[in-house]
Amino acid sequence: MSAQTPVIEMRHVEKYYGDLHVLKDINLSVTKGEVVVIIGPSGSGKSTLCRTINRLETIGSGEILIDGEKIPEEGKKLAQLRSQIGMVFQSFNLFPHRTILDNVTLAPVDVLKRNKKEAQQEALELLKRVGVGDQANKVPAQLSGGQQQRAAIARALAMHPKAMLFDEPTSALDPEMIGEVLNVMTELAAEGMTMLVVTHEMNFARRVASRVIFMEDGAILEEGAPEEFFEHPKTQRAQAFLQSIREH
Amino acid sequence: MSKNNTSIRDFLYEEPGPKTRTWIRIGTGIALVLLAWLIYAVIDRFNVTGQFREKYWIFFTRWTTWRFLGEGLLTTLRVAVTAGAITFALGFLLMRARLNRHTVIWRISAGIISFTRGVPTLLFVYFFFLVFPKTGIKLTGFWKITLPVAISACGVVAEALRSGVNAVPKGQREAALSLGMTERRSFYRVIFPQAFRFVIPTLIAEMVIVLKDTTFAYIVSCADLMQNAKVLISNYDALVSIYLVVAVIYILINYGLNKLSDSLARRGGTMESRRAKA
Repeated sequence: MSAQTPVIEMRHVEKYYGDLHVLKDINLSVTKGEVVVIIGPSGSGKSTLCRTINRLETIGSGEILIDGEKIPEEGKKLAQLRSQIGMVFQSFNLFPHRTILDNVTLAPVDVLKRNKKEAQQEALELLKRVGVGDQANKVPAQLSGGQQQRAAIARALAMHPKAMLFDEPTSALDPEMIGEVLNVMTELAAEGMTMLVVTHEMNFARRVASRVIFMEDGAILEEGAPEEFFEHPKTQRAQAFLQSIREH
Repeated sequence: MSKNNTSIRDFLYEEPGPKTRTWIRIGTGIALVLLAWLIYAVIDRFNVTGQFREKYWIFFTRWTTWRFLGEGLLTTLRVAVTAGAITFALGFLLMRARLNRHTVIWRISAGIISFTRGVPTLLFVYFFFLVFPKTGIKLTGFWKITLPVAISACGVVAEALRSGVNAVPKGQREAALSLGMTERRSFYRVIFPQAFRFVIPTLIAEMVIVLKDTTFAYIVSCADLMQNAKVLISNYDALVSIYLVVAVIYILINYGLNKLSDSLARRGGTMESRRAKA
């Protein structure tokens, strides 16, 4: 046992979709303040892994622990656990029928029973922090993709999560908007947020990650510090993957 | 069609060219001639058969006639609104049950939905008129028409609501769950409000059917607009003129409902621009 309990820990996690073995003996731990970036080709199980951590995907066997406790399987306890882990989706998933401000305050008021005024005040600060403070009274459809994703990050932060999961947060964005979202994530990392990030942004991984995990075919093939991984990948597959990216 | 008001036609058809425009003009001309001839033919038949005779119309100048029809109309509206509320509540429950993950529950719900959609309203009316009283429970004429009309429509309402729920992207539920909402809370706070907006036009179309179904009220001797019209007809021996007036009243109400549906749909669509101004 390490001195510190990891915020997120996965032990021997296996998952099948029918005959398809999508997660193979996944062992992973993320300690407080760490930024773990998962990379790998499409269909390697990165997103699935990310989504099992707050049980948006169930697992076949093995166990997942948050702060040393097993994830509850259902009901209020599961909801309560999810409220402690922020999640940012590829397609933003803002609530289109509500304003940006309402998007951010809905869960704090409804789930955490916070005072509405205070929640709104905090929401405005968060929105300002991610650079969309002046969009608070618009509905999501009026914002650009980059603005929507930053608002979605603010929505997750409003729950004061212990850790944040990012499931390909920039994959649905136009190139010029990727930077603004990555900047927010970089700042968040610098402030000490515990983060698990699935991404294709290699520069981000290199700059911000404390650790890089390379996945292929549902298994973790390699894990290491970013400089080490990007300069001297150990496995042939990681080498080939990095090579194929560099060619562009 | 004005340029700044895009309609569905703009997506279905391309802008007509010169030849097409000529054909449209010819077609419009022919249609107008046919329409004029039809109107003339109807008026002519009315004239020939004496439908314009004073005795068929004179009673419409009397206040009591209109009051009588007005009372009927009020009953019709009361039945329609009550049946509408009941059918929405039943439809909502059936939709929730239909989307339940327990096989037994959703199958029962699916069965009820198919049953109510398959059986004609008239049979439900007869059931409440002839069979139900045998249970010993006494219903007034109002309920004898309201309940069958509501039951007859609830399956369609359930399916409309369900299609709305299914049209809400999956990510919405996931986002709500990831914020710590329970399934129930995510349904009521995030999914259903969006689903409801999607199906407002369908629900209003169903309200039109509910309103039309209330005309079965004469069977259970509930004094609705149709029943009162029948009374007037036998009093004055004037069938065509009275039915004509009553038809116009029904058309106006349903036209109003359709306008309401349009304006609600448009409001949903332009909500963004309205909020932008605020």
